[in-house]
Amino acid sequence: MRRGWLALAAALLFFPWLVAGSNSAAFLQDMGALVLLAAIGASAWNILGGYAGQISVGHAMFYGAGAYLPLLLYQQWHLPPLLGVPLGVGVSLLLALVVGLPTFRLQGHYFSMATIAVAELIRIVVSNWDFLGAAIGLQGPAVSQHWWDLTFRSAVPYYYIFLGVLAVLLLVTWHMQRSRLGYYLRAVRAGERPARSLGVPVRRYKLYALMLSAAFTSLAGSLYALKTGFVDPDSGLGILVSVQLIITAALGGAGTLLGPLLGAAILIPLQTATNTWFGGSGSGLTYIIYGTIIVLIARFEPGGLLDLWHHRVAPRLNKRREGRHAA
Amino acid sequence: MLLSAEKVAKAFGSFKAVASADLHVEAGEIVGLIGPNGAGKSTFFNCIAGDLRPSEGRILFDGVDVTNAPPETHARLGIGRTFQVPATFEDMTILENVMVGAFLRRPKRGAARERALEIIEMTGLGAQAQQRARSLGTPGRKRLEIARVLATEPRLMLLDEALAGLTPGEIQRAMELVREIHRLGVTLVIVEHVMEVILTLARRVLVFNQGHIIASGTPQDVVNDPKVIEAYLGRGHGRQAQR
Repeated sequence: MRRGWLALAAALLFFPWLVAGSNSAAFLQDMGALVLLAAIGASAWNILGGYAGQISVGHAMFYGAGAYLPLLLYQQWHLPPLLGVPLGVGVSLLLALVVGLPTFRLQGHYFSMATIAVAELIRIVVSNWDFLGAAIGLQGPAVSQHWWDLTFRSAVPYYYIFLGVLAVLLLVTWHMQRSRLGYYLRAVRAGERPARSLGVPVRRYKLYALMLSAAFTSLAGSLYALKTGFVDPDSGLGILVSVQLIITAALGGAGTLLGPLLGAAILIPLQTATNTWFGGSGSGLTYIIYGTIIVLIARFEPGGLLDLWHHRVAPRLNKRREGRHAA
Repeated sequence: MLLSAEKVAKAFGSFKAVASADLHVEAGEIVGLIGPNGAGKSTFFNCIAGDLRPSEGRILFDGVDVTNAPPETHARLGIGRTFQVPATFEDMTILENVMVGAFLRRPKRGAARERALEIIEMTGLGAQAQQRARSLGTPGRKRLEIARVLATEPRLMLLDEALAGLTPGEIQRAMELVREIHRLGVTLVIVEHVMEVILTLARRVLVFNQGHIIASGTPQDVVNDPKVIEAYLGRGHGRQAQR
């Protein structure tokens, strides 16, 4: 087990160097950074959607807050975008409180629908607000003036920044799943009524999960904006942002520590490949892939690929191995 | 008085499921609630457990008014309950299920785990501690529910048909477990269809019919009461019993 963790950590740590000799080194390093970014967003969603089972389809509002604030500070007041990162987290926490308090009275798909409604409302408001760049969006510094602009030509510095944030997020999640909070959230996912009868203050704990999830989703949004140097209502607040967070987590395994990372490691290269192979017309194919994945996960393996591995593939392999030993 | 429910009524629209029911339970008692299907006992039970808010009346637990308190407050005060259809956390292991209950009094993971393991052993689930709850059959699930509630360290335990659907052998083992819980000082209110359980365990029985309590007393008094016989078996049997 420990060996597996070390191998994973080493692979992630040395990935940019391992591909450095390749002809497409820059492309692969950029894809590596995008995989980590997707893993951060999906792991953040996973706290609420995976562990607590509250399927938010409106997490784009937190992602957008994180993406808009750094670029807004830069564009409006020429302040370093980095200052906007904690501001984005603050705004997201506030949003989480405002949205969570009334919507956590709702359960199941009613909660999901409410989150879609709030996120879409925010997207429409931002799309029509000139101060926030309206439909055109906001831009960051084209050329780096200071290191704290976090504007780099190479993807490698982004890769390591994203890796650091992902490591912190996974550590927080690991700690959470071993604590009372983690147990309570899983109990809430399994059944609110029995959880309450055991003394779990369900709404309070759902709110904790939402706030933690919102803070890290906002961070993912900020990192996206700092890397691309641009955000508009669709790329920061569109419903597909939320959908991607969900699919990435669900594909790998919602409610597991490494599921979102696994989902990102599959989905992002797949998305990049379709875009590369089919050019502009390939962007539509991404959504067809998303839809197919949703149907396949829902029908055959709601626990995602990690669940498939742990409960179906690994036991069979173990049986076969034991059989061979016995023979 | 540990539990005092006074003139509790619950209506769903124009339908009155419970009409002015009283229940007083002293600490250390085992009280049985029986009645035909649809008599209102589960609704009354859910009002006591905090799952339903009574339309009228008042419920006091150890002097604290819990009439409109949510279930988590009930649990914190020391009222634990099981469900008619076991509501175990299917994807969690048996140990994790019980730890959820143990966290109520022991916020630290190590202490909660230790307590949960003690209770799992006591309830006879030790061998399956690391299995997922979904792997258990009905008797195991019912035991797990009891274990989970025990982990919250209740003073009053409400058992909602905790022994229904078990074989005679399993019922005997489950009854032994209930006695052991009672020996620990937990007061019990039991809703049960299995008369053997009520007659053996309860010292006092209340009989529900059509939302009303129609009889109360010792198990022997109650089973011989013509009103009870009539409620269970029909009017003819009630008259025969009176003769």
